[in-house]
Amino acid sequence: MNTENEHESVDLVDGTVVRQFARAALLAALMGAAALVTIPYPLSPAPVTLQVLVVFLAGLYLGPLWGGASIVLYLAAGAAGAPVFSNMTGGPGVLLSEPTAGFLWAFPIGALVVGLVVHRGLTLRDPADVPLPIVVVGLTAGLILIYAGGTSWFAWLIGTSLSEAAVTVAIPFVPADLLKLAAAVVIVRSGTIDTV
Amino acid sequence: MIEFDSVTYGFDDVPVLEDVSLTLADGEFVVLAGANGSGKTTLLRHCNGLIEPDSGTVLVDGRSVAEHPIAARSSVGMVFQHPRDQFVAATVGADVAFGPENLGLAREEIERRVDAALEAVNLSGRDGERIDTLSGGEQSRVAIAGALAMEPTHLVLDEPFTGLDDPARRSVLERLEALSRSGTGIVVATHDLRDVVGLADRVIAMRDGHVAVDAPPERALEGLESFGIRVPKLKACDTGER
Amino acid sequence: MLTYEPDDTLAHRLDPRSKLAVQIGFAIAALAHTTPAGLVASTLLAGAILVTTRVPLWRTLWAYRFALVVLAAGPLVTMVSLGSPWVEPSDGVGPALASYRALLVLLVSAAYVRSTPIRDSRAAIQRTIPGKPGRLLSTGVALVFRFLPVLQRDLRTIRDAMAARLGTERSALERASTIGILGLSRAFTRADRLALAMQARCFSWNPTLPHLSFSRLDVPAFVLASALVLSLLV
Repeated sequence: MNTENEHESVDLVDGTVVRQFARAALLAALMGAAALVTIPYPLSPAPVTLQVLVVFLAGLYLGPLWGGASIVLYLAAGAAGAPVFSNMTGGPGVLLSEPTAGFLWAFPIGALVVGLVVHRGLTLRDPADVPLPIVVVGLTAGLILIYAGGTSWFAWLIGTSLSEAAVTVAIPFVPADLLKLAAAVVIVRSGTIDTV
Repeated sequence: MIEFDSVTYGFDDVPVLEDVSLTLADGEFVVLAGANGSGKTTLLRHCNGLIEPDSGTVLVDGRSVAEHPIAARSSVGMVFQHPRDQFVAATVGADVAFGPENLGLAREEIERRVDAALEAVNLSGRDGERIDTLSGGEQSRVAIAGALAMEPTHLVLDEPFTGLDDPARRSVLERLEALSRSGTGIVVATHDLRDVVGLADRVIAMRDGHVAVDAPPERALEGLESFGIRVPKLKACDTGER
Repeated sequence: MLTYEPDDTLAHRLDPRSKLAVQIGFAIAALAHTTPAGLVASTLLAGAILVTTRVPLWRTLWAYRFALVVLAAGPLVTMVSLGSPWVEPSDGVGPALASYRALLVLLVSAAYVRSTPIRDSRAAIQRTIPGKPGRLLSTGVALVFRFLPVLQRDLRTIRDAMAARLGTERSALERASTIGILGLSRAFTRADRLALAMQARCFSWNPTLPHLSFSRLDVPAFVLASALVLSLLV
């Protein structure tokens, strides 16, 4: 039987933290599952996935801190070998030397920025109540950061100029990513998903 | 022992539990019946402090759950609906170890508890398997093992048979019966009384946030039907000996 | 698909932390030395690592095929210019060598994936990163491994249901937003159940740390990792 002091040292995680953390972890898993959801896209040799949409959703529905943390969890699981990167690959080398790993590194920052703009700070509000222009500005800022990360990484790793890198890994994908931005707006306006 | 004393709880000004008092003794096998929305789930979640009452008190082994949540959570193991969403690790052993790890127990003690818990649910030696590859009934039993690894005096299960086919349902029932025989108090909340009533010492039925019936099974079954509870013919539920 | 496979190779017996050290050391060394001699050395070392870990080379290259396409695109883009002489092959040499070493790092990483179970990676995180961040990161990584197949199935169900209801005739925007709404709300429903179950099992900040210990085998691995980092000075 339990004695009075047996559990004194156990430091329980607060209920709200558990709830936010569980949502962040499941969104990270959703991010990995989305690597399999491709949309047909003629301009790209590699399949275009819905992952950027999930980055947007992380910022929108988990806020800057947990949204960013969620994408960090996704990257950590991928580095540990979970098949969550494009074409179901994983492993530390993807983050270290994949030509498009700059996008991966920029994803958490993208989620953070979307969250900061939309929630205007660390307290969460319902994205459906946020004026539409602010949502669009937030998503666009996040997307620009993701492109900046992806382009500069490629230029550094392969030794091309920034514009050559942009032509290779960024510009062809702009229409597809604008579609995902629009989808994020549709989701926010639908008002069907609650924040914690 | 779990004691509810005048527990009242509301959600958004809608009363869910109204002045509930009851005592669940050690070793008792209790079936908690009631239609959806009758307050069963809310009642159960008070047992380990996942919900705190608006008024009244809940004691586990004489100690307030609100003040001693860790003691309450290790004494009252809880298994929820949808076992698939309750696992924290991809493999069986790693998941079952989660509770004792949180209590900071020594590695050897954790391993002993994981082995014992898996044995209690008839899954000995399966600790290296991926949960994702198990059947629904096996997943339910892993979830039960996860709760047993805390070495609770009571095991509380909320709608444990949802989504299980008959063989899986029987495999879970068999394990509950064995646990009960070895002295663990069992509380099963269900709106579907088939088979399980035959194992019970006591049936408690909830209606609109009140305890409406609290009696041994043979007496309790009369009149339960009017609450929207599926009542089996007594013969069908007499599966105590198998 | 590349995943952990139980085996008894040297890499399987190493501590995950020494494998990560070698991996990072290799990446630093390979990215620093783009001379032909450096690349020959990196190739030999990568080959040795792949052989001792029994990584299936062709299957691994196939898994990374899309990365290979992008790696090949880099040199091609630099060779082409919008004006005379239009194509300048020598411009592509540097990027081609750079693409090649990136490929080597990817291959070496396959050795880590094949030889390291999630349990080990998780233990390495929890033992390396102190306090609350380490606790959340290691538990979170385990949760991603656990729920990835569940959510993959969710998304497949959602797409099948959409296709069954004339989904192919809907606009791309409608399809993307429907997948997003249904996928996220299902994930959050599961998360809320998970949170309750974790609380019921006393999810705490200070659990028993997972067992992990270095053996004598790890000494040469760390020596190798240090040598690779020090090769920056050469």
